[in-house]
Amino acid sequence: MVQVVRDAAGAPIEARRLTKRYREVPAVDGVDVTVLPGEIYGFLGPNGAGKTTTMRMLLGLVRPDAGTIRLFGRDPKEDLLAALKGVAGIIEEPRLYSYLSGRANLRMLADFDRSGVDRAFVEEVLETVELRDRAGDRVREYSQGMRQRLGIAACLVRRPRLLMLDEPANGLDPAGIRYLRRLLRRLSADGITVFLSSHLLAEVQELCARVAIVAAGRIVYEGEIDELRARAGRRYRLTAAALERAASVCAAVPGISDVAIVDEHVTFAVDADEALLALTRGLAEADIAILALVPEQLTLERVFFELTEGPAERETVPA
Amino acid sequence: MIGGTLIAYRWELVKLVAQRRTWLGMLTAAVGPIVYLLLELAQGPPGAPLANNLGHTGVGFALVVFKLIAVVGPAIIVALIAGDIVASEDMEGTLKTILTRSLRRGEVLAGKLLALFTYLAAAMALFFVVSTVGGVIAWGFHPLLNISGSRLSALHALALDVPAVAVYCLPVLALASFGLFLSVVTRQSVAAIGGTLIYAMALQGVAAISAIRSAHPFLLTNQFTAWHDLFQTPTASGAIVRSLWVSAAFALPPLVAAWVVFNRRDIAS
Repeated sequence: MVQVVRDAAGAPIEARRLTKRYREVPAVDGVDVTVLPGEIYGFLGPNGAGKTTTMRMLLGLVRPDAGTIRLFGRDPKEDLLAALKGVAGIIEEPRLYSYLSGRANLRMLADFDRSGVDRAFVEEVLETVELRDRAGDRVREYSQGMRQRLGIAACLVRRPRLLMLDEPANGLDPAGIRYLRRLLRRLSADGITVFLSSHLLAEVQELCARVAIVAAGRIVYEGEIDELRARAGRRYRLTAAALERAASVCAAVPGISDVAIVDEHVTFAVDADEALLALTRGLAEADIAILALVPEQLTLERVFFELTEGPAERETVPA
Repeated sequence: MIGGTLIAYRWELVKLVAQRRTWLGMLTAAVGPIVYLLLELAQGPPGAPLANNLGHTGVGFALVVFKLIAVVGPAIIVALIAGDIVASEDMEGTLKTILTRSLRRGEVLAGKLLALFTYLAAAMALFFVVSTVGGVIAWGFHPLLNISGSRLSALHALALDVPAVAVYCLPVLALASFGLFLSVVTRQSVAAIGGTLIYAMALQGVAAISAIRSAHPFLLTNQFTAWHDLFQTPTASGAIVRSLWVSAAFALPPLVAAWVVFNRRDIAS
């Protein structure tokens, strides 16, 4: 289980007012992020929200225009190599030398790490990511999933305490995604802090206890994912024979709010199970057949609309 | 600094060896003299220093070819590798992979520069060996008449060939430095390779302007003939010394600029 320590001093990542502009257009605008030891931290946002630029700044690839960064309490501006000690990351997708073998790539990066990692450890890491059988093949012959695993291996040879992954599930098939989740849980259990950037809430909520949501270069939410769920509320989708009458019944039930007709469904928020019970009774009394009543999947898009633009536009039903 | 540079250097060599374009350059360096040798056998000696020895001895054939390929020959090989050595990593995205490890940017660049110079030296050495072996097979291992008309034993001439090749390499390395600079700033292999070739052509163009004849000794293109000093009687050194500092003067500004840009720039690709 992830242990969350509230003291941010010496935290794996502590960024304050991080800002980066490209031709006066802010890509990252005053971002504050604190990642605590041992957690898998989700960094959520749509494409172009500033996630990758933030990660590039954290890894020293891009200079911030303003703000401060501390990695395990060390300032990359003062000494980048010291700050990056124990930190490994993949930006966007793993980029390795396609004309070298997977094994040669890892040996090279291990040498570049100057951590005295021996060849036996490289083999161990290849075993961990299940690539040892293909380690002698050139990377250009690898599938997308194998490249992704090799990218993670490239991080692991650094013996990281903090792992930063940018959209690691991109291009992976379901088996690859399941493997990735299993691996990240194992690494976290081993004490490695994971900073996971993604545009998929489903991916993040599987793994993370805390998240930050970034939109248009700004953090619009940072906190527990459970709190986020609570904020979005429990929502249901009702498919019924008489849609408008069903919506009116919903709106009249205490404990049900935010009733709307979306496409061929009635959607609403529920604050307790008793309200659902009252709703089914009400619909039965009104002689309205229930075709389906299902919980709505909390989508990132919806959360974004809630957090950044208010509720999504829809036909609302007065209570 | 040195330890990190050597790590980067070693792996740059591994990467160069693993790439096709490296072998393409080497092939050019090996096949070029053979093609030229066949042309010589068919057409007779050209008007170049030491060319009157062709047909009598194979020693010195490499230097005759050096004169005839002028700036263009090495420029092609230089451009292929120097223009690509940083830009290709930028385009492939591998730069971000290596720059988040534990080597400083300066160490990575220095490793690349050393590997580039090593490659060029190896290409020149191959060129020299193939030329000399080909020349000796065609015309034998006999004494050579130097530029002043003095007779040098075959062994003496061969011994002078080696420093002559080293002197010829000086402006080649200066050209490579400019190629590396373009590779860093353009971030595009095609632009850097093309730019390096255009730069070499432009230097040749400037050297052809008679109005600035007094400046010719200080142009990079003129340093490609500095090895003539070794094949004169008495042996001279003025042109070689000038080649050293003129080549350095042409190499250092682009290298410093590449260093500054590479250390300061954002890796946003």
